[in-house]
Amino acid sequence: MFRRAIRSPLGATSAAIIAVVVVLSVLGPLIAPYDPLAQDAAHILASPSAAHWLGTDYVGRDVLSRLLDGSPLSLLSAAEAVGIAFALGVTPGLLSVYLGRVFEWISLRVIDALITLPFLVFAIAMTALLGNGLQQAMFAVGILIAPAFYRVTRAAALSAAGSQYVEAARLAGASPLWVLRTHLWGKVAPSVAVTTANSMAAGLVIVSSLTFLGIGVQPPAPTWGGILADDLGYLFQQPFGPLYPTIIIMVIVGALNGFADALRDTSGITGHVRLLGRRRSRPRRSAAINPALEVTNG
Amino acid sequence: MAEPHASGALVVARDLTISGPEGDLVHGISFALERGGALGIVGESGSGKSLTCRSLLGILPPGVAVTGGSIELDERDVTNLSYRDWQGIRGTEIGAVFQDPGSYLNPGIPVGKQLTEVLRVKLGMSRREVSAKAIESLGALGLRAPEIVSLQYPHELSGGMLQRVLIAIALAESPRVLIADEPTTALDVTVQAEVLDVLADLRERLDLAVILVSHDLAVVAQVCTEIVVLKDGMIVEAGPTARVLGDPQHEYTRLLVDNHARYGIERYLSPELADA
Amino acid sequence: MTALARPVALPSRSRVRVSRTLRGIALWVIRTIAIVVPVFLFATFVTYLLGAASGLSPAGLKLGDAATTADVARVNAQLGLDQPLIVRYGTWLGQILHGNLGTSWFNDLPVAPQLFERLGISVSIAGYALIIGVVFGFALGLLAAVRRGTWVDRVITAFATLISTLPPFVVAIVLIIVFCITLRWLPSGGYVSPTVNVGEWLTLITLPAIALSLDTVADLARQLRTGLVAAYDDHYVTGAIVRGFSRRRVLFVHVLRNGAGPALSVLGLRAPALIGGAVVTESIFGMEGFGRFGSESALRGDVPVVQGVLVVAIVLVLVFNLVVNALLARLLPASRRGI
Repeated sequence: MFRRAIRSPLGATSAAIIAVVVVLSVLGPLIAPYDPLAQDAAHILASPSAAHWLGTDYVGRDVLSRLLDGSPLSLLSAAEAVGIAFALGVTPGLLSVYLGRVFEWISLRVIDALITLPFLVFAIAMTALLGNGLQQAMFAVGILIAPAFYRVTRAAALSAAGSQYVEAARLAGASPLWVLRTHLWGKVAPSVAVTTANSMAAGLVIVSSLTFLGIGVQPPAPTWGGILADDLGYLFQQPFGPLYPTIIIMVIVGALNGFADALRDTSGITGHVRLLGRRRSRPRRSAAINPALEVTNG
Repeated sequence: MAEPHASGALVVARDLTISGPEGDLVHGISFALERGGALGIVGESGSGKSLTCRSLLGILPPGVAVTGGSIELDERDVTNLSYRDWQGIRGTEIGAVFQDPGSYLNPGIPVGKQLTEVLRVKLGMSRREVSAKAIESLGALGLRAPEIVSLQYPHELSGGMLQRVLIAIALAESPRVLIADEPTTALDVTVQAEVLDVLADLRERLDLAVILVSHDLAVVAQVCTEIVVLKDGMIVEAGPTARVLGDPQHEYTRLLVDNHARYGIERYLSPELADA
Repeated sequence: MTALARPVALPSRSRVRVSRTLRGIALWVIRTIAIVVPVFLFATFVTYLLGAASGLSPAGLKLGDAATTADVARVNAQLGLDQPLIVRYGTWLGQILHGNLGTSWFNDLPVAPQLFERLGISVSIAGYALIIGVVFGFALGLLAAVRRGTWVDRVITAFATLISTLPPFVVAIVLIIVFCITLRWLPSGGYVSPTVNVGEWLTLITLPAIALSLDTVADLARQLRTGLVAAYDDHYVTGAIVRGFSRRRVLFVHVLRNGAGPALSVLGLRAPALIGGAVVTESIFGMEGFGRFGSESALRGDVPVVQGVLVVAIVLVLVFNLVVNALLARLLPASRRGI
């Protein structure tokens, strides 16, 4: 699945960018040329130079160092949110197809309810009320992204469960777990992978939005959104300041979405989701008592 | 079979060649259809029969085009018309019905409304006139309770009913030619016979010329007086139905007929055809 | 076979039409209620739970650190906070259904009037953004689909992709730099009620609305293009073409009706983002909107205000989705069965 995606030009470029950003983040604090918190009153709001590749901010801190130092936090927070969303979304999504109508109905309503909650306000509320930390914020974001995983998993599992080979396997007496492992996962995995990449991009945007608003992190610690917010105040003195964190966010978000598109294109996924109610939850065919009757009615 | 070059024929294909991105799909075939005639095009899937009838409607799929020869409709060359020019021909001079009729109707609009849309837009009838006319023409095709059927959506109707609705729409503007591309393939056997009866009846009543495309010799034999057998984009045999079925010259035709002999194809041959 | 099924007596055509329509609408309403009510209950319960789980209480806020446990218990009892969670949720929900959103712990004023005062700002921006999003999203999506495969399509797709990688606050900043700082065409912040000065109101909310709408424009354009291009491949389009209809009629009567569904659904999904995303926009443009009110109150630990903001947002989103779903059901009658 991934190999095919990486072979496409879009997938290859995106994967390369993601890899570079991840490596830079891991090494970030190590290769940062300066202490990200060290102020230098002599060089305030300096333009890019050999000493400071991306210039300095309003108290003379090295912008490049701050960006590098802030990247692990941004990436890890987004990854945490996506991990939580994955755990909370994929399992119920699969189960909703198998555990019968009651579980299906309840889980669908829970998901609908989660979708109606406004993302940022809820995340901010949760962060503020449950202790001001990015951990809480990401937990909230994870909960709110979970519906995307639920729906995608469920849609893929539904279409696979309705297919004839799965029906045949079930009629032949295969256990649900076996069907899941051998037939369903292969169908569900590409959709889930696409959603993971897209959610990661969305998570990064949310993390930077929150840190931009100063929520979840204490001031001196550098984050992409925080740096952006700081630089914004000095727009007139240093108009390029906000550009750097913006470009980083755009590039990584673009690469993640690009990779998701490449995955989607190479694995041939279609379909869409919709809030509040949907078409018949199962193909009507499964309602027939005797499948053979349905065939002759064509 | 009429000579391809004979004048006065309603539909004439001369040396028709259709090509896709990977080469020719139909290799220079010729046939003609007289006024009120019935031509059957028979062949297996991939023989080019569907492309041929799509080229008669100017609806070849993207990337596929007529690259040689010509098509004439009522002595007018329609080989390379623009969409706008086709607009005046489709529906008014040539109508079409297809396999899986339900999919050719808009799923979001009641079928009656799709019929009245044609009457209003193409024939300029008033809103008041059209609904009575629509119910009348649905009833004429043997649909029971047409006033209720006309309010239903395609997903609420059976295949046989949908094909009748599609026929009613195709004939709403009184074209002189009807192209039926595998019109019975998706239907139950009994419904198949009913739809073929409808087609045969329309031919007689409206003096309608029909081009019936099918993979099934028996279907074609029931309606058509002339048959063209296509294989790999070429005509392997053509002639009056009785001759082609009764005395097939080409090995492939013989194979088709032999296959059908087991299922009693003679049943479909009307007495006068059998005598010919 | 259903084809031969025939009613015993034929009712008149108009009566059939009316009864079919009414039955369809009634079914739709019942199914919608069956979905909306539990969703509302669960979403408000989560909202209430959030406040309860925070462990914050007005007692702590009011009495300060010096309060004894007994004092806190007394205030809590006064406020009914010693009851079981589900009972408190019921009481709270009852009050909300009567339009009472409680009292702010911060300034002891009722929440509802404070909230609705600020809601005007957010609804102005979100509504304006929605209009921009729908108009431009539909126009671009339609154009890309009609000119599919050409450079027009590629430019629109590239634009939509670029926009979707931009965090909304970046868009806001770029707009401020271009229109407020460089060109000096529009003011960069503040708010005036339309009842005071409509012109000023419009100039003030234009930039925030554009910043908020771009995501919707991009999303809608992409979904509409995808939906329409897929619909163009469907047989019923061929069916409409062979009836001799014009290109325009094929697009607007046949393709759009079926291909716009996914785009409309996306529009429904955008509602929470339009309402919640206003937080960032409002803080950048210095507007005292309702999202910002919620986030500032959250940081102050003012639980009733946060809950009020969330409840109002939930109601707005649900109402918006009802409208979208009603549109969908009207557009695609087949979907009425499944709602």
